[in-house]
Amino acid sequence: MAQDPLQRTYDVIVVGSGATGGWAAKRLSEAGLNVALLEAGRAVSPKEFTEHMPSFELKYRGHSPEMSRTRPVQKQCYACMEYNYEWFVNDLENPYSTPEGKPFSWQRLRILGGRSLVWGRQSYRLSDVDFKGASRDGYDVDWPISYADVAPYYDIVENYVGITGASEGNEMLPDGQFLPPMQMSCGEVRLRDSVKKKFGRTLTIGRAAVLTQPHNGRAPCHYCGPCERGCFTYSYFSSPFTTVKDALKTGKCTLITDAIVSHVDMDSGANKAWGVTFVHRTTKETKQVRSRAVVLCAQSLESTRILLNSSTREYPNGLGNSSGMLGHYLMDHVVGARASGKFEDMKDLPSANPPHRPNGIYLVRFRNTPAEGKHPNFIRGYGFQGSSEPRFNMDAPGVGAEYKRAVKAGIYQTSFVAFGESLANFDNHCEIDPNLKDAWGIPALRISMAHGKNEAALMHDAGITAAEMLEAAGAKNIRVTTGTAMPGMAVHEVGVARMGNDPKKSVLNAFSQSHDVSNLLVADGSCFVSSACQNPTLTMMALCVRASDHLIERFKRNEV
Amino acid sequence: MRTALYAGAAALVPGISFAQAIDAGLTPAARGEDGSKFLSDPNWKPAFLSDQQNETLIALGEVIIPKTDTPGAKEAFVNRFLDLLLSVEPAEAQRQFTEALASMDSESQKQFGKNFRELAVEDQVWLVTPWSYPADADRWAGEEGRSNTGQEHFLRLKRLIAYGYYGSEVGMKGLGWDGEFTHGPFEGCDHQGETHI
Repeated sequence: MAQDPLQRTYDVIVVGSGATGGWAAKRLSEAGLNVALLEAGRAVSPKEFTEHMPSFELKYRGHSPEMSRTRPVQKQCYACMEYNYEWFVNDLENPYSTPEGKPFSWQRLRILGGRSLVWGRQSYRLSDVDFKGASRDGYDVDWPISYADVAPYYDIVENYVGITGASEGNEMLPDGQFLPPMQMSCGEVRLRDSVKKKFGRTLTIGRAAVLTQPHNGRAPCHYCGPCERGCFTYSYFSSPFTTVKDALKTGKCTLITDAIVSHVDMDSGANKAWGVTFVHRTTKETKQVRSRAVVLCAQSLESTRILLNSSTREYPNGLGNSSGMLGHYLMDHVVGARASGKFEDMKDLPSANPPHRPNGIYLVRFRNTPAEGKHPNFIRGYGFQGSSEPRFNMDAPGVGAEYKRAVKAGIYQTSFVAFGESLANFDNHCEIDPNLKDAWGIPALRISMAHGKNEAALMHDAGITAAEMLEAAGAKNIRVTTGTAMPGMAVHEVGVARMGNDPKKSVLNAFSQSHDVSNLLVADGSCFVSSACQNPTLTMMALCVRASDHLIERFKRNEV
Repeated sequence: MRTALYAGAAALVPGISFAQAIDAGLTPAARGEDGSKFLSDPNWKPAFLSDQQNETLIALGEVIIPKTDTPGAKEAFVNRFLDLLLSVEPAEAQRQFTEALASMDSESQKQFGKNFRELAVEDQVWLVTPWSYPADADRWAGEEGRSNTGQEHFLRLKRLIAYGYYGSEVGMKGLGWDGEFTHGPFEGCDHQGETHI
């Protein structure tokens, strides 16, 4: 090592190495800027991937008592398993509080790559119906940007990441730069054609960050199934083996792992950030890194926590919070509505062997669209993820040889799971809990969020429409669930440092740059003005690239 | 400089190799440990169940999932796996399980004057078969609210036994699992021109 990485002054510090932090590091270092990429967790190695390990080799086959003891919150996440729970934060070391009666599930990782290691990979563009939603229904405010501003960055991200999908020409879900689509099962073809014919709705194969052909030096998917346990061919997108790797390849990016950032350091006279302070994860030593600009990509709640913990005399309520909006307008897609049934006449048998398609089907939002007009009971809308495939039927009746035969014969299970828009609401917020610190002495968050009447109405409607569509397609034994799950369960939390043109009403400008502190950016999901109902990561990455490119231009003009 | 820096695959922490630094924090699965081996230990003893409860569970497992052209629950060590799970479950789950097992004996006593594990296999099958089909909700007047506790207990045990069996190597092989992690790309519907509606 030629030089102690903590003695240099970097052009940019990027905090967080996940889906957005990886992009910021790649983009900025490829433009020639000197970047320090800080990650709170350790590095990750392909040697610890377990995607091909059968579940019976797990001692508890998923019910590890150590996982339950150390990850009681994290195990609420479908992707946190006996295989990989060590990637998720230890809840005993990383506490947060919630008010009585308002539970919130904060599911997160601290490891190189963050949640991009275990994400659901579904990748959908937002449309102007989303960016300009307030103009259509009068609720809250529009984004300060439109689809045309983001479209070129969606292209950049999709072309690099590799998104499998099919074009549909539906105005609610703009098409993108797709790799060849994955195929649908017979049941899914039936659903697709039935909902089009009987309801005029669009059902498409899932758009997912999984390769269906060789792409940018990575091999296509081998259809083993459980991406969230890692992938030895890197066929699904995760930052350590793509964006972060590219950034390190430039020679301009220094990765500093085990660096838990506590706050941003400010030069009050110049009103500029000069770096960040972090606590080393294992030694617990406090250290500082210096830079000319700071980009937070720590995950929306975590980035906001850093800013709230960075108060100064000039910014007593949190850095960059002269608007009073920091920490407010927390959103997470409402989930809780689903319906399932079976196609009794479909005779395909289930298989215990691959191929397992790591992707489902997607039913595009059809409520409150320009074509359908306003719904009387709620604003905004929801989309469905789903699947239709034969499965082994462990719930079969009977005992003995007859039961064993029935399990093997299986059922053709078909289901829809709804993801609804979470309205931006000032009352849904996070703040610093004055009585709670994490294992490194850093003040922890108090998260206060509840879904409201509109979210409940969306889920009620979604349960009914899902069942109607299954019934119309000929499904039997339909079961419906409505209701709203606790916030956080979609793991799509966005907002809390919203962008806007008015510095009095927003934290960030349209390029995710702080209105108050010009060399401070928050380039993760914090900037979202509305949640839409599409999975947010693709949009987060596109907005991060846009923000990074804007910062590069400012460096070139010597404005930083 | 104690900060771990990761540049490419290089380990820069003095005295600790990159592999060691990683392995230290891994789950047993990520360290490559096969945690299933101890189930076949010849010296295995139950950690939670009594010997009698264990025998009842073995008998019931073999009634629900007997040896046919594929092995049964006993050969898959379903009782041993459930014993392990129960040993780390909360007290409430443990209580529900032992209550359900005890209920097999009390129902068996009512009909045969013997405990479940002491019955002939035909009588064991005779006892539980009606419980294994969905209850008819259309009951005689006056019977509303009278729950069939024998059936509830049986179905709880059946679910767990099926879970233990089909999650085992023996059970997965019985479903046709061949241990290969790939068999080429996913192939969907290829019925030309058909919509299936």
